Amino acid sequence: MGQSISIPTANPFQSSSFFSSSSSKRGPGFFTKLQIPVAKPKDFPALIGSCMSAASARTQEFLTFSDPEGKFCPSPQVLNQVFLATYIARSVGLDITDTFNCTTMTPEQRILLGADWVWALLEKPTKNPRVQIAVRVLHLPEMGAGPPESGSESIQMAQMESSSRSVCERMVEFCTSIGKDCYALFLFFGKRDDRENIYGVLSNNFGAAVGKCSQIDRALIENFLKGAKTFETPSGMMQAIVAKKKGDPLTLVVKFS
Amino acid sequence: MAATQDVKGKGEGGDQNFDYMFKLLIIGNSSVGKTSFLFRYADDAFTSAFVSTVGIDFKVKTVYKNDKRIKLQIWEGLLRGAQPSLVLFSSLQRCAPAEGFQSDTAGQERYRTITTAYYRGAMGFILMYDITNEESFGAVQDWSTQIKTYSWDNAQVVLAGNKCDMDEERVVSVDSGRLLAEQLGFEFFETSAKDNINVKQTFERLVDLICDKMSESSDTDPAVTTGAPTAKLTDSAPPLQPQGCNC
Ligand SMILES: Nc1nc2c(ncn2[C@@H]2O[C@H](COP(=O)(O)OP(=O)(O)OP(=O)(O)O)[C@@H](O)[C@H]2O)c(=O)[nH]1
Ligand SMILES: [Mg+2]
Repeated sequence: MGQSISIPTANPFQSSSFFSSSSSKRGPGFFTKLQIPVAKPKDFPALIGSCMSAASARTQEFLTFSDPEGKFCPSPQVLNQVFLATYIARSVGLDITDTFNCTTMTPEQRILLGADWVWALLEKPTKNPRVQIAVRVLHLPEMGAGPPESGSESIQMAQMESSSRSVCERMVEFCTSIGKDCYALFLFFGKRDDRENIYGVLSNNFGAAVGKCSQIDRALIENFLKGAKTFETPSGMMQAIVAKKKGDPLTLVVKFS
Repeated sequence: MAATQDVKGKGEGGDQNFDYMFKLLIIGNSSVGKTSFLFRYADDAFTSAFVSTVGIDFKVKTVYKNDKRIKLQIWEGLLRGAQPSLVLFSSLQRCAPAEGFQSDTAGQERYRTITTAYYRGAMGFILMYDITNEESFGAVQDWSTQIKTYSWDNAQVVLAGNKCDMDEERVVSVDSGRLLAEQLGFEFFETSAKDNINVKQTFERLVDLICDKMSESSDTDPAVTTGAPTAKLTDSAPPLQPQGCNC
């Protein structure tokens, strides 16, 4: 991941295409600087997995960054944005967005549905989603929630509408309502005993816990990580999702970084 | 919100600062233009990129009518109904998912279980089809059945034939749109989110219809004041009192 820091190798003043993204076909536009140069994997799940890994590696750089003066600390929102920007840039670069797209939620949807973004594996001709992965990032509690999503009336209203349930519960309810081909993925940007790595708990079966557990919250989901001996890779996760029989439950713990 | 006539709070979040709150729903097949229509109305903007809405979304806009501030809470999405046992987001009913429930893969069916709670709270619907898409017009009947099944009886409906800027690609005539609206007892507009044709008018007409209905039935039908199940959202509002809308 070290080499991925986007210091342009060519002097930007000599490279006429540095800032142009449209005039040269796939020339080194601004966004390509966010990408980590690796060999392009051949199979599709690995291709998607590589985009997720790249985004995680990039985010990890910010997650582990510590300002010697202790003044500057990237906020939770910034970390989410770094992840998404890197993921999107890379998936566009690899040309996979027709088959696997990424929809970021509006501020209202983030509150109502509990998801930060939704990945979808699309059916070929119709572009209907065949599999969806709703993603919620969980930050270390001491990061704080960041400034509340301020301002607009509709956001205040969404908060009122949703206030009776936790974010995690809202997300699980949303995914459960769609069915077994919609997964909830909770992304931990650092966990208590390993603050420097990115982990995920993916399941299409959190709904099973709704009746049994008093509450679906961070602690409950983090327990999945505690119990895990081995972790899936992002590519392995995508492989498992694609290979799974329709209707079967699937729960995985994944190490993203 | 971008709209200039929006009411801002008097330093307390703005939630008390309106006379009425109407909950509206925009429904119709995928890609007919529901998101674009709402985006045009609330933010006066349009984008030609198509990003299918995940689940549901909503925006708030405040309008004035006869010196009354009416807050519109406008929901949109593929809000297709489901059995009441699968209702989500209902604060009254929280149910475990039905065992063995399988989602259809078709985009339109995908979010059907998110829906009934939204229908029941709605006072008005914009049922939308795309004049360049026969299938979306064919589905209007079906959507209308959804409204009749899941919403309260006094809900008002406007049928909107969207994308009327694309006349060269039209496959649904104005007359067949109007005829169907007549048969279903709905008002009718052809609209364009792109060229901003009849967008505001559609919402204004819907608000008028709701106001008319309110003043008409307020003396006799207490359901008007209590019918909306989104109690949490309306609690803070002055109740929809029998003085009607004065409009
Ligand atoms: N020409 C034209 N295009 C429009 C109009 N309204 C929407 N579109 C386009 O039609 C496509 C679909 O619009 P959306 O608003 O995303 O459709 P939707 O009904 O929200 O679709 P779902 O979210 O999948 O339910 C987009 O590419 C829009 O730019 C219109 O009035 N005229
Ligand atoms: Mg939409």
